[in-house]
Amino acid sequence: MSTTEISSNEQYNFDIVRRFSFMAVLWGLIGMSIGVWIASELAWPFMNFDIPYITFGRFRPAHTTTVIFGFGGSALFATSYYIVQRTCQTRLISDFMANFTFWGWTAAVALADITYMLGYTQSREYAEMEWPLDILVEVVWVAYMAVFIGTIMKRKQPHIYVANWFYLSFILATALLHTFNNLAVPISLFSMKSYSLFAGTQDAMTQWWYGHNAVGFFLTAAFLGMMYYFVPKQAGRPVYSYRLSIVHFWALSFLYMWVGAHHLHWTALPDWTSTLAATFSIMLLLPSWGGMINGIMTLSGAWDKLRTDPIMRFLIVALSFYGMSTFEGPLMALKDVNALSHYTDWTVGHVHSGALGWVAMVSFGSLYHMIPRVWNTKIWSEKLIGIHFWLATIGVLLYITAMWISGITQGLMWRAFDQYGNLQYSFVESVAAMHPLYAMRAIGGMFYVTGMLLMFINIVMTIRQGNKAPVAVPVMTVAHA
Amino acid sequence: MFKHEWLETNIGLLSVMTMIAISIGGLVEIAPLFFIKDTVEKVDGVRPYTPLELRGRDIYQREGCYLCHSQMIRPFRDEALRYGHYSLAAESQYDHPFQWGSKRTGPDLARVGKKYSNEWMTQHLVAPRSLVPESVMPNFPWLLTTQLDISDVEDRMKALRTTGVPYSLTKAEYDANVKKFGKETADMLDINKARQNLIKQAEEGNYDGDRSNISEMDALVAYLQVLGTMVDFSKYNDDEFVKYR
Amino acid sequence: MGWLYWFASYEHTKPLAMVILFVTFVGIVIYVYGSKKRGERLETYKDIPFLDDDETKMREDKK
Repeated sequence: MSTTEISSNEQYNFDIVRRFSFMAVLWGLIGMSIGVWIASELAWPFMNFDIPYITFGRFRPAHTTTVIFGFGGSALFATSYYIVQRTCQTRLISDFMANFTFWGWTAAVALADITYMLGYTQSREYAEMEWPLDILVEVVWVAYMAVFIGTIMKRKQPHIYVANWFYLSFILATALLHTFNNLAVPISLFSMKSYSLFAGTQDAMTQWWYGHNAVGFFLTAAFLGMMYYFVPKQAGRPVYSYRLSIVHFWALSFLYMWVGAHHLHWTALPDWTSTLAATFSIMLLLPSWGGMINGIMTLSGAWDKLRTDPIMRFLIVALSFYGMSTFEGPLMALKDVNALSHYTDWTVGHVHSGALGWVAMVSFGSLYHMIPRVWNTKIWSEKLIGIHFWLATIGVLLYITAMWISGITQGLMWRAFDQYGNLQYSFVESVAAMHPLYAMRAIGGMFYVTGMLLMFINIVMTIRQGNKAPVAVPVMTVAHA
Repeated sequence: MFKHEWLETNIGLLSVMTMIAISIGGLVEIAPLFFIKDTVEKVDGVRPYTPLELRGRDIYQREGCYLCHSQMIRPFRDEALRYGHYSLAAESQYDHPFQWGSKRTGPDLARVGKKYSNEWMTQHLVAPRSLVPESVMPNFPWLLTTQLDISDVEDRMKALRTTGVPYSLTKAEYDANVKKFGKETADMLDINKARQNLIKQAEEGNYDGDRSNISEMDALVAYLQVLGTMVDFSKYNDDEFVKYR
Repeated sequence: MGWLYWFASYEHTKPLAMVILFVTFVGIVIYVYGSKKRGERLETYKDIPFLDDDETKMREDKK
């Protein structure tokens, strides 16, 4: 048994997986805490404390960047490096490049947070990083692409497992999106400030092509890759239908890129573009649900695991939220529904049912599965995972319920007319009506962050335990099929 | 014959096919926007921002105003009553980047210009709840106490000129601007006179109620006061812009 | 660049998109589900995550 750790370490580069998984948990805790803080600022504005650096407008990009790129991104780096090595049965092609992606990415997220708080922002949602950081991210991304594709090239398996396809499309799409959405002219080589190359309508279309596909490929395709590996592994049975996964992959990759313009319904964007986007949004429901069914049915015949295994519970509930959000999304992309929902909290609720319900939960499940394995130990407390699960679930439900109610209320109040045909409510009346719901949302967030804190503690203890004395785990062997 | 198996076992081919699949949508939807003349309608009055308004816009971006305020009025009856004529693509043709926003935690600002006095704007930015008790907007007291940095205003205008905004650097560009916008506006768009124009507008406008210095508040209020005021809609028929939608 | 104008109206783009999408989709579905033999081959790949394994043993124990 003493050779286990050495042999697995030689066979695979797990160092990089360890680093990224730890950072994922840490960024998650930081990013979600900022989230609760800014949610509280909306409920209780004194929380801004008149400090420029933590005012809502500057702190909110720090929240989105830390959770999407810090937490989500690190989780994706960790799991993709883990999965690509294990399904290709080969070591990453370059430890140096892999380490570079780690330091580069971590630095980019940290610097992004700091510069936002100092007031440097491109003011493009989810792409707020100013040009020097964009260049850093671009370089890191090329290195990532090289490591990932290079590792696949020297695989020992002839077939490339489908999880890697999803990661591949995520890497390619992100490269494309990041490059084109961040085209900008800096005001000088020594200034952080830049102006976007495009203006007005074109700029809006480019930004929401990016914005929605960041959700489609960064927050969906890649996490589906995670799902296609960790759900079967945790369930101990192969994915329900491999053929469905192929159809799922191509349909999703093709359809997603069309739908970004549904963020711009009823704006000055030409009508044909947003109508096209609405049509494709509806079609997107099919592959989304195909994937969800594929994931959930993997568990068929082993449903009892849902009762006994908290990790499995995370994964399956994540898929359920995925199914729900991908139903809600096309609904909101219908122009008539969008007329009501756009500009309201409904959108915020929708994003969070996807982000907290799907992305974060599937990451929690995967990290809880993977972290003990890469540290060669057992999870410190199985019970804490169970508690985390309930805190997270209650948190999401409180959050999205609050946002549904407030979003629909806003939409209805804004368009309400009195009997004389005048507007029934002033804008600020709708703001006042939101107060209890903003408070409820902040409380939901607190539940979620508490769960995240428990995870952090659990993971830190697991790591300490793994570093101290590796407990006996089955020997790592490569089966030749 | 083509075999899917080639894809499954060849990472290069798989990458290429995936790239094609993910590129088509963007190509079909975005590329035409750069070539169609209808995307941006012809409207009189829309001009690039003056140096002071531009610096105000920079501050608007810096403070993340776009996260809670949209600048895009939709063609609905309630929005027409609440905010005014729906926004035209032309009105943001010089906006690098666009500030349409995606959320209305606060009201739309596309036509907020001239609706409130400078004094109201300044007071509201410093302490929103002193005027609107239910507001959840943060206070921005530092805007009033921070001196506006105008040292790089020329660099900013030059960068925007590179992206295609008609700020003039040469005599020929200036003359073209005179022809297009009239002399008064063309003077404001002259990069060579940016700094003196900025100071002049701030002093004459007295946006923050204090003529002794130019604060960030001066710039931001100047920007807010010009929003949505460039097009004179009384000159157009009601259905003039429908064909562009 | 004149040809790009053709894409500018969705009377053109929508049917075109539908045709591209539908043909490709049907192609993939026929490929994936069309032949039983191919289907069986494809389904064997679902075991890849279990080939390299610390848990293969545990899994067999449970069977």
